[in-house]
Amino acid sequence: MAIIERPSDAVEVVDETTPSVATPESSYGVFRRPVETTGWKSWLFTIDHKKLGIMYGVVAMFFFVVGGIEALLLRLQLAGPNGTVLSADKYNQMFTMHATTMVFLFVMPMAAAFANYFVPLQIGARDVAFPRINAFGFWAFLFGGLFLNTSWFLGGGADGGWFMYAPNSSVAFSPSNGVDFWGLGLQITGIASLTGAINLIVTVINMRAPGMSLMKLPIFTWMVLVVQFLLLFAIPVITVALFMLMFQRSFDATFFSVEAGADPLLWQHLFWIFGHPEVYILVLPSFGIVSEILPVFSKKPLFGYPLVVFSGAAIGFVGWGVWAHHMFASGLGPISVAAFSVATMAIAIPTGVKIVNWTLTMWGGKLRFTVPMLYSVGVIVQFTIGGLSGVTHSVAPSDTQQTDTYYIVAHFHYVIFGGAVLGLFAGMYYWWPKMFGKMLNERLGRVNFWLTIIGMNLTFGPMHIVGLQGQPRRMYVWTENRAGDGFFNIGFWNLIASIGSFVLALGILLFFVNIYVSHRKGTEKAPLDPWDARSLEWITTNPPKEHNFDRLPEVGHLDEFFHRKYEDRGSDGHHEFHQIATAEEVVAEEENNADGHIHLPSPSYWPILLAFSLPIMAYGVIYNVFLVIGGAVLGLVSFYGWGLEPHTAPEDDYDPPTGTAMEVAAHG
Amino acid sequence: MSHEKVHYRTICNSERATSSLENMSSRLFRVATTVAGVAATTVLAGCASDAPQDTWKPAGPNAQKIQDLQWPIFLTAGIVGVIVMAFIAFCVVKYRDRGQAIPDQAHGKAWLEYLFIAIPAVILTAIAIPTVGVVMALNDTDDTECVINVTGQQWWWEYDYEVGADGTICGYAPSEVAASPIITSGQLVIPADTKVLLRGTSRDVIHSYWIPRLNGKRDMVPGRVHFLRLESDTPGIYAGQCTEFCGLSHANMRMETVVLESAHFQQWIDNELEPYQAPAEGGLAAEGETTFIAQCSRCHQVNGLVDPGNGNLVVSYPDQFVYSGAAPNLTNFLGRNTFAGATWDLLTPECRTDVWESSPEEFGDKYLAGVSQDCLNEIDLREWLRNAPAKKPMYADPAMLEQSDGKVRGMPYLGLSEDQIDQLIAYLLERK
Repeated sequence: MAIIERPSDAVEVVDETTPSVATPESSYGVFRRPVETTGWKSWLFTIDHKKLGIMYGVVAMFFFVVGGIEALLLRLQLAGPNGTVLSADKYNQMFTMHATTMVFLFVMPMAAAFANYFVPLQIGARDVAFPRINAFGFWAFLFGGLFLNTSWFLGGGADGGWFMYAPNSSVAFSPSNGVDFWGLGLQITGIASLTGAINLIVTVINMRAPGMSLMKLPIFTWMVLVVQFLLLFAIPVITVALFMLMFQRSFDATFFSVEAGADPLLWQHLFWIFGHPEVYILVLPSFGIVSEILPVFSKKPLFGYPLVVFSGAAIGFVGWGVWAHHMFASGLGPISVAAFSVATMAIAIPTGVKIVNWTLTMWGGKLRFTVPMLYSVGVIVQFTIGGLSGVTHSVAPSDTQQTDTYYIVAHFHYVIFGGAVLGLFAGMYYWWPKMFGKMLNERLGRVNFWLTIIGMNLTFGPMHIVGLQGQPRRMYVWTENRAGDGFFNIGFWNLIASIGSFVLALGILLFFVNIYVSHRKGTEKAPLDPWDARSLEWITTNPPKEHNFDRLPEVGHLDEFFHRKYEDRGSDGHHEFHQIATAEEVVAEEENNADGHIHLPSPSYWPILLAFSLPIMAYGVIYNVFLVIGGAVLGLVSFYGWGLEPHTAPEDDYDPPTGTAMEVAAHG
Repeated sequence: MSHEKVHYRTICNSERATSSLENMSSRLFRVATTVAGVAATTVLAGCASDAPQDTWKPAGPNAQKIQDLQWPIFLTAGIVGVIVMAFIAFCVVKYRDRGQAIPDQAHGKAWLEYLFIAIPAVILTAIAIPTVGVVMALNDTDDTECVINVTGQQWWWEYDYEVGADGTICGYAPSEVAASPIITSGQLVIPADTKVLLRGTSRDVIHSYWIPRLNGKRDMVPGRVHFLRLESDTPGIYAGQCTEFCGLSHANMRMETVVLESAHFQQWIDNELEPYQAPAEGGLAAEGETTFIAQCSRCHQVNGLVDPGNGNLVVSYPDQFVYSGAAPNLTNFLGRNTFAGATWDLLTPECRTDVWESSPEEFGDKYLAGVSQDCLNEIDLREWLRNAPAKKPMYADPAMLEQSDGKVRGMPYLGLSEDQIDQLIAYLLERK
């Protein structure tokens, strides 16, 4: 597969006077390439990493709303004793799908949205290494997510919990098709993650701008790189597990059948060898975002950049050796438990490094509390709480009191919501002007932020109490008999948590209101460099042109953009920074030296078609094997179509047939 | 009310009094309120002694080991948290942009970074060492004095008391030679001051046995045997709940461990092994016996029950009807005071309070009295007998029963008449 060439080599001279004749290399010959740059086709068949990034974001936010509604229903049910909002069956489906949706269909794709959009921009590239595979990844994710959620209308969602422990996941205990939809849907989104991972790894390794050594890589891109390696190794494990589950349920395999001599703990090991790295897959992109934002609004470089990079990598490595801390009560035996307990404590060290380095980045800075900065400080505070409660259950004996109680629910929501989700919101406010050319409203943003923070603490804070008071998770009702009547009684704090969830929902709603308000007619265009930013993605227009950079930037510093704007005029160890150029001047300089010919590959029908063959096959596994064959034929045709089409559309696919220098040039 | 609770209540009340420190100088007032706030939090934690599954109120040496290990760690985590928050707050306030010059673009300080690796490393090492010790101690099985088999199934626990080679149960010799083993459900009865080892497994999916005040939880996995230590020196009822998600009625799978002092435990064993006493002829209970044999005895065993119609011993065979292959043994049904996975009380609320919250000294006698007619919570029991799956969800869709080899998931709807229910209750009232 070809890598997009840097323009310095192999520039093909396109003669503007070339007559528009069909090029014989159009080997598939049947369809015209969808080269439109506006309209629905420009989105459906795009292979532009920015458009795909935006679509990842839109779809992720849609699933965020779906998962949020599921969460509100759960909290409504638990607001009082013996709740009747949901039946036991619906409740079990709801918490399973809430977790599945939030993990696989919101946080992961939202991080993928930012990674897609900003990794090429941050490394000074014009797209990712494999643009069509990138498009395929997005469509596979979307179709996988939709497929998963169609289970609601086809007999009910999965009801075994997102961890789907065997043997409760087998047909005898979960007879509806929910678990089949779950297992197949996640295989499809897994394919999306895996292709995305390979794509981004190759992109970061091969396509950095001249001068950008790995230790000058923006920290967000670094964290994304670590995450892609985690995905590369974690997704195959869960895929194997899901494959076994599929065979167990659909084809009478006995991987998890106790009566056939299987050990149900096999599933737990497979699930958590994936599941624990997954936690870092969720949270590291946000760590990267926060590590970008804090320096910008502190007007200082990230404190201890190499250490933050290495601690991120260390978390990535050690994250593979702690999975059994999800199984301290599973009966592993004391030696395993002790070993995993100590390994889990060890991972607190690199995590602590990040918190300290973020705080020291602010130390001695010049802090501006814009909305992205508020969210970033929010991440430090909320994630610290989640991290510290995490230390309390790295202590295995203590964990046997806490695991599967609401204390754990509190812990991981402080980590996932406080760490990952707040970080994603920080990213949205920070990069919104870059992506859409408009600023999100700061005043509404502040209300959005504070309601979210108050809401999340009201929701998840009380769960610490409820959990330590002994309320297990995943119970569709709780009873006053076990609630107690002291200050810490379970009833009161459950009610507070339920009220908090609606405050939180209101906070999130304001984000959508903010988008609407900020994009009404007549709102001003965002300035070129609204935050006085530091990294490469800002050395271009808002939003960036299709080809990202007129000239691929030469990189001499970690915070390249900052150093183009400011100069140190101090001497003898004394520093004095003065602005030497505005952002407009820096960008104008690039535009004036634009590369003569820019190579961009053309849109394609095949990625979306190939992705569409996946859910067809999945429905086939559940309902009718002939559908599998039909889907496979579509997939095979798409494979060949993809393989045979040239990277760039022949010129007569354009209307009018064109050969302008900016758009066209074959590359191989 | 126990002595312990009185103690906590007193502190709680005195704490309220100290919060009105108003005519102090403002600086002193600030310090005082801070101290009072921290103290109040600590003491209020103690005030929660009422929650029956409180994980911070150990009532036995195993849970105590966990508590001794964890409270300093919670405290350390809290202190670290406060320091980090204070530091963040300091930075946020102190370095706010007030027009100061652009700061030095320094990339870090090596010694400071090493220091902040070293500090958590030292703290975590200090935590790790005792943790490993407690993990080992809690998995020790050499000092066991009493083994009880526990088996989970959807959605209740069965207990099977192991009879030792010397014919004793937990070291207690039954006064009469037992005709049947002791098999109970829901409420596990153990002797005080005895190192009990639960030897557990499951008949269907994974369940988890957890009595928070006695020990952490342990999953009971089909095809595997796992062990859990339980011990307490204080007679009483200790509540628990299945904590591994086990399907539809996971929320309705509870359990209790009942601790009886030595003499009471002996009495309990003797009562469990007492020969079957048929109800007086001609009474409502005798009709209940007939109804029981006709409607219930295929699944539920009552040890020693003889069918008066043919003189045969009645033996249940739940493996033919129930998916998990078991149903609770009802020999001494009203000797326990909860039912249907320990989810509903057999005692009326007043009687329940009387038994559950009695002092350790009085508890044994009250528990062993079982459930009397006056104390019987007929409301829940009748609802259960009328239509069990309506009260405790057993299957999402009755049509799906076919896929479980036609076997029921728990107690099915039996279509009992109100008369039959009256008879059954009269019969069951004698089962204690």
